[in-house]
Amino acid sequence: MKAEVSITINGIAYSRTIPIRMLLVDFIRYEAGLTGTHVGCTFEGVCGACTVHLDGDAIKACLMLAVQADGRSVTTVEGLAKGNELHPLQVAFNQHHALQCGFCTSGMLMSSLDLIEKNPELSEETVRHGLVGNICRCAGYANIVDAILDVAQERGS
Amino acid sequence: MSGSNNKLKDKQADGIGARLPRKEDIPILRGEGHYFSDIAVERQLHVMFLRSVHSHARILSIDTSAASQMPGVVAVVTGAMLQDEILALPQASTSAGLPGRLPTFWPLAVDKVKFHGEPVAAVVAETPYLAEDALEGITVEYEPLPYVGDMEAALEPSSPLVHEDWKDNEIFRSNYQALRTADEHAAHIKEARRRIAEAPFVVKQRFRTHRCGVTALEPRGALAVWDNRDGLTIWMTTQRPHAQRACFADVLQLPLSKVRVITPRNQGGGFGMKASVYREPLLVAHLARCLRRPVRWLETREENLMSAGQERDQIHDLELAADAEGNLVALADRIVADAGDACLGGSWAFPIANVGGLRLPNAYEIPFCDIELRVAVTNKAALCGARGLGIYPGRFALERAIDMLSWKIGMEPAEFRRKNFITTFPARLSTGLGYSNGDFLKTFDRLIETVDIAAFRERQKEAWSQGRFLGLGIAVGAEVSGVDSLSYVSMMGTPSYASVEVRVDPEGHVQIFYGDGPSGQGEETTIAQVVAEELGIDSENVSIIVGDTQTSTFAPGTVASRGAAMVLPSVAMACRSLKKKIVRVLAHDVAIAADEDDFIFADGYVMHRGNSNIRLSFAELAFRIVMKPINLPPGDSGGLDERATFESTRGNICFGAHAAFLEVWPETGRVKIERYVTSDDAGVVVNPLIVEGQIQGGVVQGISNFFFEEYVYDNQGQQMTSTLEAYKIATAADVPRIEMYHDAGTPNPTNPLGTRGIGEGCIAPVPGALGNAISDALRPLGIEITDLPVRPPTLFRQIDASRQRKQQAS
Ligand code: FES
Ligand code: FES
Repeated sequence: MKAEVSITINGIAYSRTIPIRMLLVDFIRYEAGLTGTHVGCTFEGVCGACTVHLDGDAIKACLMLAVQADGRSVTTVEGLAKGNELHPLQVAFNQHHALQCGFCTSGMLMSSLDLIEKNPELSEETVRHGLVGNICRCAGYANIVDAILDVAQERGS
Repeated sequence: MSGSNNKLKDKQADGIGARLPRKEDIPILRGEGHYFSDIAVERQLHVMFLRSVHSHARILSIDTSAASQMPGVVAVVTGAMLQDEILALPQASTSAGLPGRLPTFWPLAVDKVKFHGEPVAAVVAETPYLAEDALEGITVEYEPLPYVGDMEAALEPSSPLVHEDWKDNEIFRSNYQALRTADEHAAHIKEARRRIAEAPFVVKQRFRTHRCGVTALEPRGALAVWDNRDGLTIWMTTQRPHAQRACFADVLQLPLSKVRVITPRNQGGGFGMKASVYREPLLVAHLARCLRRPVRWLETREENLMSAGQERDQIHDLELAADAEGNLVALADRIVADAGDACLGGSWAFPIANVGGLRLPNAYEIPFCDIELRVAVTNKAALCGARGLGIYPGRFALERAIDMLSWKIGMEPAEFRRKNFITTFPARLSTGLGYSNGDFLKTFDRLIETVDIAAFRERQKEAWSQGRFLGLGIAVGAEVSGVDSLSYVSMMGTPSYASVEVRVDPEGHVQIFYGDGPSGQGEETTIAQVVAEELGIDSENVSIIVGDTQTSTFAPGTVASRGAAMVLPSVAMACRSLKKKIVRVLAHDVAIAADEDDFIFADGYVMHRGNSNIRLSFAELAFRIVMKPINLPPGDSGGLDERATFESTRGNICFGAHAAFLEVWPETGRVKIERYVTSDDAGVVVNPLIVEGQIQGGVVQGISNFFFEEYVYDNQGQQMTSTLEAYKIATAADVPRIEMYHDAGTPNPTNPLGTRGIGEGCIAPVPGALGNAISDALRPLGIEITDLPVRPPTLFRQIDASRQRKQQAS
């Protein structure tokens, strides 16, 4: 069965006719061609590599059908930088060596943005707990935590 | 330096030693990385695998007729169909160097299935969704066979056979005779036994480690395209593109020149999981050739957890003996390892287990060893390399035994270790393994300096008196740092040198070509730093082309910590040859006699040390030599490129010492790591940021293995952990921050940069440090950690039982 949807991703509306069982993450990757959003588990919602923002909230794009996002607005990792200007989180991840293979990174960025935007006060403890939905297999988390705290502090000051 | 232009520095700011943020990060951070799943070609088809629901069963029939009729389905294949079309493994390209048995297998099961999750049939369809639908249309009739799941029972003569053309389930056995004759070895063993029998202090203990590994966040994948003229082009996730290529060529009976393997620019982690030759890509390549259409397979997480990346389950019956002064005198160990079905091209499971026995004596002077390893095949997924290849179990067992023995003697374990470290190099273990150089004491003492054992013991005593259990555990590892070809050929069957090509274009931009398949190690940055250092140019002006068999000569792959230890030295060697040529041309042009020591390469210029008027930009010189190759010095020709091959000497190692401080809650069995410190001898550090990243990540993986991860098979061989929900990997909230020191490093004299590779081995001391710390905390209760994983419920039961025993006794 097919359905017509229009999903806005990073400000651009993508209108497509798609099978109703298509996952949002597949819509983002294969219909919109935005491959920065990754898939690290079999749609069980554990790894967090597919994290995007839906109307301003971090969600796992593998746990939703594309039809459920019809008429709504998605932000992916590609929407973080403004042209050549990187988002402060992107800069901090680079400075702190918060990525190795980088496969978790898009999801980490989108989750940490959510954390920073919704929590005025962040500590190492709260950041670590805020990231339990995102697995990083390479980096051991410490540098990711530091990068996020750096940006959070910058914002707070 | 008289008359020098003081704008030129001797040290390139982004050269060796700089904490340079990585060059590769920015595209990834923008979501513009280029991973396997981001690659697509026109008209591609998609494969999905039907996998065995049994751990061990005969295939009576497979009916694919319904599936073939389903929408979008292009082909349905089974093992029986493949038998006449391609060759089975093993083939020459993927044999092991060691004398073990190699099971025969095809990409799809033939006659019987040997583990839960083995591919049985495959559907090729227009979309992955349709391929998956059609799997339901395949009917397989099985006759279940008894599950062979216990590695010790599998070695009994009465055990059912996993591979029916074998007489038993033993795939490999070794007694680590080293270079001793049979008689010498018998005498050696006798002496080891005598020493153990007569020693005043002996620990005899069984240790058990569990099946876990370091599965990468990105699963596997392969995309094959057939072209009548060029043959096969395959994009795939792999650490070893050249090894894969040789295997495709063998199995599909193509010349090597008709197979091109390309690793995507970015790979989402490897850790050994992407180092072997697996079934699925072989089938993908075959199908692309048959169907004359591109064929793509993207693994699901479930498939990955069922069939790839499982290591570490071993049993050690270990005896360790010391004399009255606290010197180690002998070690004996009976090791059993579980190879699963061992159907894994290029590694065949047993060489992995073999490494554990070979390296077992670790950093210690133990003159006599009686070590025997037996490796059993079982109905589980093949044992597969995982970071710390083969040694996680052995390090756990020996480091634990060292602690147990120290307390028996009444010595602080750190002191006992210091007393028994190897101090003269080159050294040779009784297993035959050599260590070329290092300084264990120096690196170890750096750790001890930071941990203040005496102060901790005070705190611990105080805590015990209040019913709290604090522990300190120390463990070390002398780990692999690149492997020489002689060792690698004899173990894995392929050479191990590092070979790179350095090309300079007329604008002075440098490209490095080499054939490994990295997956996040930061090679783009460290290679650029080495070039920056050697040629005095900005690291921005260096790029790498890697992982493509078409643009590189043979390379063994991103394995065994080769990057810093072997690839970087070969880059330096090539740059040094280029410098010689540049200086020859420059000296010739200005008509002076000079050699490269007379010139300084820095800040993008080449300048004479004694005469700053002789100064040209690197780019000008590159243009001169590449595009204006006239009036060159006699013997020189145009062009500025160089290939260099670095062959490692034997026995290069990277030593690390870890200390874990933790608390155990007796009411729940919960363990909290309070502080985790490492001191590593990483040799000359090219980029501290990257070295620290490797250690931080490696230690956390080790912690995750120790407490959380486990591939569980039930008593019928059903794999119970095929989701990340069940196969639990540590999250940010589960692990501490690792405190790292690498300033007690000793330059490695066996390569031109003095570097060592740290990636592979930094995980190895973790299980010993944690096991020792928990046991230390629980010393008043007499609990020794001997089995992994350590989980709160089991620990609680141990604590509870011990307390009850104590109560009954009093
Ligand atoms: S792919 Fe969505 S959570 Fe793993
Ligand atoms: S950087 Fe590889 S998974 Fe996080």
